[in-house]
Amino acid sequence: MIHNYLFLSIILFCLGIVGVISRRNVFTVFMSIELMLNAANLAFVAFSRVHQSMDGHVLAMMVMAVAAAEAALALAVVILLHKHKSKLDTNVFSLLKG
Amino acid sequence: MFADGLFLGFAVLAVLGAAGLILFRHPMNGAMSFVVTLIALAGLYALLSAKLIFALQLIVYAGAIMSLIVFIIMFLNIQPSDLPKEETKLLYILGSIIVVFPIGMFLVKIVRSLPKSSTEIIGNNFGGVKQVGLLLFKDWLVPFEIVSILLLVSLIGAVILAGKRGAVK
Repeated sequence: MIHNYLFLSIILFCLGIVGVISRRNVFTVFMSIELMLNAANLAFVAFSRVHQSMDGHVLAMMVMAVAAAEAALALAVVILLHKHKSKLDTNVFSLLKG
Repeated sequence: MFADGLFLGFAVLAVLGAAGLILFRHPMNGAMSFVVTLIALAGLYALLSAKLIFALQLIVYAGAIMSLIVFIIMFLNIQPSDLPKEETKLLYILGSIIVVFPIGMFLVKIVRSLPKSSTEIIGNNFGGVKQVGLLLFKDWLVPFEIVSILLLVSLIGAVILAGKRGAVK
């Protein structure tokens, strides 16, 4: 049943939002964002199976490329932040708070 | 049904891995349990007869991206004292579940309204490399080129951000 896949996608997406909201570790927040991207990918592939067209597969590949670009940039930023403050706490990085 | 059993197993693994990701304190444990989620998702793609995406999920996501993340976690040499304290983590998780729950129920309601359709594995080269590649280079050529530019930009940005020698301090 296609509904089960979509329910699983919803559960994973909500877990990703929970991780972003509740955790303060930079790496965990980052991987929760990746988890949300993966949940979206699962929904894309499931709908593509329903309609028997492969556009969803192409979109899933695009999402993977975006995730790779995001990983490269975000990890560079994390290295910079760790160099400056040697902390991994998102509450420490509040320069833009005003 | 065999496929239903496989779906149940992969789904349970995926949810457990995601729960581990948001519950473990050290990011290395979280990354390892996230790899479990990614591999279970690859199995689900195979059940949805997306052969190319299955291979790409294993090679690119569980292979390349996660090894990059694990490499950076080990590169920073994180001690338990470097980690944020997070005494009120469970409280925050409970609160965010309360916030997210209505959104999730809304999405569930949307999904319930969709017509039922089966997900048996179909042959006929659905999701194979040739079919997806033809679609990618015929109908999706412009987005493909834009994504390649995006990857180039992020490559240059990462080198400029993290590659400065002696510029920091």
